[in-house]
Amino acid sequence: MIDSKISRRTFLKVSAGTTAAAAAAPRLLQAMENQLGGKDFDPVSMTERKAIPINCHVCNIQDGAIAFVENGRVVKLEGNPEHVSTRGRLCAKGNAGMWYSYDPDRILYPLKRVGTRGEGKWKRITWDEALTEVAGKLDAALKEDPNTIMLKWGRNRTGGTLERFMHTLGSATILNHTSVCESSKKVGMEPCWGPDIETPDFANTKYVLNFGSNILEAAYFHNPLSQRIAEGRVDNNMKIVTFDVRLSNTAGFSDEWIPVFPGTDGAVALAMGHVILRDNLQDSDFINTWTNVTVEELREHYKQFTPEWAEKISGVPAGTIERIAREFALTRPATLFTYRGPAKHLYGSYNEKSCMMLPIMTGNIERRGGYCLPRGMGWPQPDPKPGKPAKDSILAHPPEYPLASHKVSHLTPFFITDGRQKINVYFTYQDNAPYTNPGSMAVWGKLYKDEKLIPYLVSMSSHMGEETALADIILPDCPYLERWEPESMPNSLWPWLGIRQPVHPYLGESRENRVLLRDIIWKLDPDGSRGMKKYWDFKDGEDYMRKHFDNVPGLKEAGGLDFLKKHGVWPIYGKLDPKTGKVVDKTGREIQAEYGLHKKELSDADMAGAVVDARGLITKNGGAIGIRRNGKNYVGFSTGDRLINVRVDEWADYGFSPMPTFKRIPWHETMKEDELIMTTFKLNVHKQSRTAAVKWLAEIAHANPVWMNPQTAKKLGVKTGDLVRVESKVGYLVTKAYVTEGIHPKVVAIPTAFGHWEYGRLATLKLKEKPQFGGQDDPDLQNVWWDDKGVHPNIIIPVVADPIGGSQGWMDTVVKVAKAGPDDKYGDTQGSWDKHYEAFKETMRYAYTGDLHRKMHPEMAAWGGPESVKHKGGHGGH
Amino acid sequence: MSEELRLSSIETRGVQGKKRYAMVIDTRRCIGCMACQVACKAEYDTPLGVNRTWVPYKVVGTYPNVKKHFLPRLCNHCDDPPCVRACPVDATYKVDDGGFVLQRYERCIGCRACMASCPYNARFMLPSHRTYTKINNVVDKCTFCFHRVTQGLVPACVQTCIGRSRVFGDLNDPNSEVSYLVTRNATQVLRPEQGTKPQVFYIGADRNQTEYGRDLYFRPDVMEEDRAAWSRNLKI
Repeated sequence: MIDSKISRRTFLKVSAGTTAAAAAAPRLLQAMENQLGGKDFDPVSMTERKAIPINCHVCNIQDGAIAFVENGRVVKLEGNPEHVSTRGRLCAKGNAGMWYSYDPDRILYPLKRVGTRGEGKWKRITWDEALTEVAGKLDAALKEDPNTIMLKWGRNRTGGTLERFMHTLGSATILNHTSVCESSKKVGMEPCWGPDIETPDFANTKYVLNFGSNILEAAYFHNPLSQRIAEGRVDNNMKIVTFDVRLSNTAGFSDEWIPVFPGTDGAVALAMGHVILRDNLQDSDFINTWTNVTVEELREHYKQFTPEWAEKISGVPAGTIERIAREFALTRPATLFTYRGPAKHLYGSYNEKSCMMLPIMTGNIERRGGYCLPRGMGWPQPDPKPGKPAKDSILAHPPEYPLASHKVSHLTPFFITDGRQKINVYFTYQDNAPYTNPGSMAVWGKLYKDEKLIPYLVSMSSHMGEETALADIILPDCPYLERWEPESMPNSLWPWLGIRQPVHPYLGESRENRVLLRDIIWKLDPDGSRGMKKYWDFKDGEDYMRKHFDNVPGLKEAGGLDFLKKHGVWPIYGKLDPKTGKVVDKTGREIQAEYGLHKKELSDADMAGAVVDARGLITKNGGAIGIRRNGKNYVGFSTGDRLINVRVDEWADYGFSPMPTFKRIPWHETMKEDELIMTTFKLNVHKQSRTAAVKWLAEIAHANPVWMNPQTAKKLGVKTGDLVRVESKVGYLVTKAYVTEGIHPKVVAIPTAFGHWEYGRLATLKLKEKPQFGGQDDPDLQNVWWDDKGVHPNIIIPVVADPIGGSQGWMDTVVKVAKAGPDDKYGDTQGSWDKHYEAFKETMRYAYTGDLHRKMHPEMAAWGGPESVKHKGGHGGH
Repeated sequence: MSEELRLSSIETRGVQGKKRYAMVIDTRRCIGCMACQVACKAEYDTPLGVNRTWVPYKVVGTYPNVKKHFLPRLCNHCDDPPCVRACPVDATYKVDDGGFVLQRYERCIGCRACMASCPYNARFMLPSHRTYTKINNVVDKCTFCFHRVTQGLVPACVQTCIGRSRVFGDLNDPNSEVSYLVTRNATQVLRPEQGTKPQVFYIGADRNQTEYGRDLYFRPDVMEEDRAAWSRNLKI
């Protein structure tokens, strides 16, 4: 008798016994594995929760996600199984993202300051009052000079509305946060091969060199790339070697952790290049075909960078450098990844460039398992579009940093104080500069408290962060779960477009950013007579998305925005296989990426009317479109000459070394025996400044003792938990010690995301107070058991600007550490504006216009000096 | 003897026609990202201070020869669960089809006998306050996501596992991924000497974490400080 409840599994089992082929290959039998996601049920009632596809935006990795809604509330977030990069999975931060929306301390109506700045006294006002006041201030500023209106964002995923807003007003004073993030990495890469980031093919590689990236905890692109690292390591037996000053989770996961003295990764990479070229292990064909130098030039240039030289600088034994270099060159495919380790130093751009030379000289570019170009997608902007402002802004493009294509925003307070540019109205959006920037309150707090320098500070924010607390007016913005936004991120080898869509109506009186910006413009130009309103002609966020997405070729045929509303992402490359966690096509095989993007051939139509010069450069209508190599017309790389620019001539114009090089940080060379270098880092469950109010993340990590090696601790007479005083040239702090074998003896390290003095009751551990701005209290906060909120280090970190990339040298701070004295209390911090200002003056000396620039570049003796270059202006950036 | 208790003494592994769900945790793939722990918190509205799953770590070695090991933890859904034997009111029981060890909140009297009997510290008392779920002051634990698994999904922690370190499935099905992994790799279980027959299998688990002590993992001094704060401040 056949059981009427026969399942597919039983059926397969029965057929297994009768099929010889299947018996010989049992792995071919596919069991009915449980599905990997896409649905969720309430554990108590067992009812299905409503699923809405979104794009995560706790950090900027931009994972495709699903919000599960029950009783009108998002109760669960998970990865979107149809998303090719995310493959259904989210990190700890992404899993906790609903707490941005339901934070009891969220600001749910417009607020106007009534006390002095930062005093914490607020008055609830209506939207109409708020908009009228802001429009009035803008009106006055416009009469003087549109550039006196400034907007600085920390994170901008609006898809262009912030730029549209500023361009509508005619202001070029648009600033970002990239110089405190990874900008020198970007600037190291862009002139070399075009884009500002790489996509290492971790899943298919055999060898990974990781210089200072903590990809398994943070960095671009944590979740999607971590998935591929685990896959490569176990399924593909790859080896991963990490150079870092500290045993991050990435270093701890790696086959080898090689501690390196801060800022010297570039020297190690150059020495590896020396070994590869000396031993003739390079890919000569690739170098000679695809770069602007020859193997002989390169070998000659690399002769100076011996492993013995690098050992003296970095502390990495020459033998280790020789061994790793040979392993890397002789294992194929191999790839490389970097992040803030090499980049966040005075000469971070050089370090980045030196690192990326390794996959270039071994020909691992754009190969399966190699070092690939990013894959992204764009979308059109709604018409009509406002034109670019007439005049550039010195703050946006300081002339001392012409190569810093991602700006030098962390120097803004000093430039404003020096009177370089006048500000009347300052907008801040998803930023928190007094927390996230070097100098912290000693610099940015001082700037914001000065009403002469910043007469009017508008914060568009959902939370009372350190910066918003200093505002004159707060326009309650929506967290990401309530916004419409277009999205694309090169976070895997497959390009995609996605959207964020609101999972429920805005809470309280909050408004999503594009709508509140529109409302400001409508208030400023109610009848359209000022020519501003026409750029803001949309009903709501969804209407705006239609203008982006309904005409993208391919997506249009699939249904445009309606497709994205249903699936969250386009295209959908395949189905998630529950047995492997990989995306498979209709035949059940894993989808394969396209490689060799630079070797895509130009079509006859492309070539019609094109001109090929002696070097093979193909130009058409005045622009370079490709490169002829071995008789074929390729698209090449997106640089001016369509090649990889190992030699960056533009750098030489400003007296910088065009060839890969390394510069020691002068003040690291003269360090005294008792001095250490302080570095900062991110933990897996936090981002820089906006996760302290997320309870599940705060529970896992809420304090940030300073890491130190047992050798260091022994000298200081310190054990874990003891109070120590960490003092730099600009200030000091008192915190607890964490003694661990996982750190270089000359380094102390403090994670950021802790020690908030604003950001709500949970971040500041003031839970006896009540929610102030319209939020509903969360009964679970009565279970908060930790009573240590940590100590934020930024106030003792001076500004350092990479003269090329403009990046903040977070990892360059020299400190003295001592056991705390009798008057030191846990959490004491102090920083001096005067000393921070001195540090600013000092770092400007390294700019191409500064007096130390020539001294640092003896190899550029023939350079004609700053007067020899006509300043060409900045590059924009984002 | 109650029906549940009788059932619980029956092994579910290797029983024809029944499912035996198990989890394989491949520590070679665990990146210690904590996504599992947070996904679990969300799935169950688990209050602060307690966890159904958690990820301790250990740093071993001496500079510069240092390594970090993670060991994701949860209820082992034992085939011979001491908690079921310890419960005086049959609030905790074992489901024979699937092997889930579950808790019936309406029967639980909060005596904590099950918590004391569990060699894995996998059970906890729910505090009085939660965000939206109205189950408090009884013992709770990992359910292997019974509500998801019985509707064709993997548990929430497996769903979000970035490294695909956690794999879930039916051990009684020889063709499942878990059967394959358990067969083809050297696996470990926690505290085998207790005779509990755990159904969470580890690949590559570090001896330092599996061998010693009731907590099964080393707590660095900074975590001790947290533990003291937890004991001092959490009211349950």
